[in-house]
Amino acid sequence: MKFRRFSVSLLLLAVLACRPSTEVKLTIAVAANMQYAISEIVEAFTNKTEIQCNLIIGSSGKLTAQIKEGAPYDVFLSANMKYPMELFDDGLTTAPPKVYANGGLVLWTQSDQIVPSLTSLTNKDVKHIALANPEIAPYGRASIQVLRNLDLHDTLVEKLVYAESISQTNQFISTGVAQIGFTAKSVVLSPDLKGKGKWKTLDPKYYDPVQQGIVLTRRNENRDNSPQRFFDFIFSEEARKILEKYGYSMDE
Amino acid sequence: MNWDPLILTFKLALVTTALLFLVSLPLAYWLTYTKSKFKPIAETLVSMPLVLPPTVLGFYFLIAFSPNNFFGNWLDQTFGIQLVFSFWGLVLASMIYSLPFMVHPLQSGLSGLPNSLKEASYVMGKSRFQTLVKVLLPNIKSSLLTGIVLAFAHTIGEFGVVLMIGGSIPGSTKVASIAIYEEVEALNYTAANTYSLVLFAITFGILLLVYLSNGGYLKRFLK
Amino acid sequence: MIEIKLQKALNGPEGPMMLSLDIAIDKGKLVTLYGPSGAGKTSTLRILSGLLKPDNGYIAVDGRIWLDTAKGIDLKPQERGIGYVFQDYALFPHLTIRQNLEFGLKKSQPREVVSELIHIMELENIQDRKPNTLSGGQQQRVALARALVQRPKLLLLDEPLSALDFGIRLKLQNYLQEVHKTYGLTTVLISHDIGEILKLSDWTFKLHHGKVIQQGNPTDVFTQSSLSGKFKFKGEVIQIQQEDVVFVVSVLIQNELVKIVAQESEVKELSIGDTVIVASKAFNPIIYKIK
Repeated sequence: MKFRRFSVSLLLLAVLACRPSTEVKLTIAVAANMQYAISEIVEAFTNKTEIQCNLIIGSSGKLTAQIKEGAPYDVFLSANMKYPMELFDDGLTTAPPKVYANGGLVLWTQSDQIVPSLTSLTNKDVKHIALANPEIAPYGRASIQVLRNLDLHDTLVEKLVYAESISQTNQFISTGVAQIGFTAKSVVLSPDLKGKGKWKTLDPKYYDPVQQGIVLTRRNENRDNSPQRFFDFIFSEEARKILEKYGYSMDE
Repeated sequence: MNWDPLILTFKLALVTTALLFLVSLPLAYWLTYTKSKFKPIAETLVSMPLVLPPTVLGFYFLIAFSPNNFFGNWLDQTFGIQLVFSFWGLVLASMIYSLPFMVHPLQSGLSGLPNSLKEASYVMGKSRFQTLVKVLLPNIKSSLLTGIVLAFAHTIGEFGVVLMIGGSIPGSTKVASIAIYEEVEALNYTAANTYSLVLFAITFGILLLVYLSNGGYLKRFLK
Repeated sequence: MIEIKLQKALNGPEGPMMLSLDIAIDKGKLVTLYGPSGAGKTSTLRILSGLLKPDNGYIAVDGRIWLDTAKGIDLKPQERGIGYVFQDYALFPHLTIRQNLEFGLKKSQPREVVSELIHIMELENIQDRKPNTLSGGQQQRVALARALVQRPKLLLLDEPLSALDFGIRLKLQNYLQEVHKTYGLTTVLISHDIGEILKLSDWTFKLHHGKVIQQGNPTDVFTQSSLSGKFKFKGEVIQIQQEDVVFVVSVLIQNELVKIVAQESEVKELSIGDTVIVASKAFNPIIYKIK
């Protein structure tokens, strides 16, 4: 008993000691493909406004379901427009979602023998092609559109393996179980993965833009204006530069 | 309603359970009777899937099955077998994942039998194999049933490992648990619900049947 | 003639010990192994049957070598053709009594062997029952019958009668005597019961701590040790009755019920079921010839 009381007080001490000096003000739920760019954006945002942010990274579908069930997120950055639109229709957001960037699609390989290109997909060395599940992941939908628009889908269907998210797609490609795969440009440009393997940007004319949408939830709507300040910041020139660095493009 | 994922799930569970039984029986037999000093190591290894998160197993399978690595490459070059993203890869992974659920009941069943049963059979001229089949197995029927059903049920409920190495290929690796997950992700709650209910009903039926028969209720019921 | 020479390091209840035997058993005899538990009796039977491997040893049965560690010969239990009655009987729970017996049939044997044994051991009424529905004595009879199915030359019995109550034990001793003669067996029996040994066996080995400390005709073996002291018997208190001023205590000594007169002060500490020693100092024994 004594020991338990001791460890409880120790735990309390640890918790108190670790408490940040300023409280986290803003909770931002963000789609996985955006995770690399967003940390840099948030850093810039906090430097400028002194508003602390907490990042929740997940797939857009999971985050949407969580918001529907009342998850405490202030801002939602989705990798498509469909899910935030649903939230708006349900009356859970302050306004309809707005596109702040378009994601780029690339072919990525870790193999030395393969030169990433659409023609290489039919190569016999390519046994598996990884892509995100088109039913649930926006980049997966874009990948399928590329294959269909180039009439490659039916020839390659046997080689396609579906990942549940863009992160898992990266897993399949980086471990080499799939020789090549479709992923987000932001992934191959991220500091962690830069220079690993080879990649090729795919022409955006073959797929609908992978629109990155932002919405503000109605949680704590009247608390303060920090969600709105983040919303404004992401459309600023400063954020735009960071997004471009990670391979995103803006609608002009 | 697409029935393929459900059919695939039961096919996977059936094949896995059958092969796992063939592997686990000699293993459980060895673990029960061996005096080897490697026994504790073997027992620990068999139990590892109980404590390891499925993601750890999935991760190692992914690495092992990758053609970039020795094992995956050797399988591919020698036998032309590619385990990743294939039904047989899932079978192998499920067998390892469900191994303790089959081995433990068999082992505890066998070690619960008095040694003299085995010895009486030897003295009467029966070989080890004859003894196993004619004396030991008939006396651990409920352990056999428990092992088979647990392994079957555990394979049906498998998700993490399949998610990591399956690739969700319709008809080959897209099992029910994956299909349900994807429907939930796509916010198609109705479809997810249908799959889940069917899975629930069938597994409930199987387990109930086992509990009834193990408790002797089935016999009374049929009379 | 069975020659047995063996050494085996064992872990007995009192720590490590060396089982070390060099004995011979004449063909057709019924011999007993007697001794405290942990003396190595069961291990001896297990080594004889091939279920346990000795460190060194030589076993030859009628000139045929079963075991010779020096030459690397070690017949499997399956090849030795012995009958073995286990202490816990080891009947197969999933088979009926008849099936238990049939289990032992060799391919070449006619099925009548089983019927004959069922008849001799009077198992007709229970032959279709499962072992767990039988009494201890019935299970014992089945175990004995089953051990005889393969017509062994050598029958090994590991304390088969100890768990049975007195009346049934007597009956089974008779069965054992009968089959031993009928089938011309050489029988090795482990027993703790001196009365049983005197009644059944031709020869006794007294084991202690892995060694034979005495062997011979059971009458010689057991009377010799009692000659050294006064009359002294171990028994169990069955009944305590008050008669006038004294008490009569009935004590079961082996198979005999003995009545002993006792004072109230002596009886006070006794209760039924106690193990007691009945001894006599000034005593003039009378001797009768019974055989």
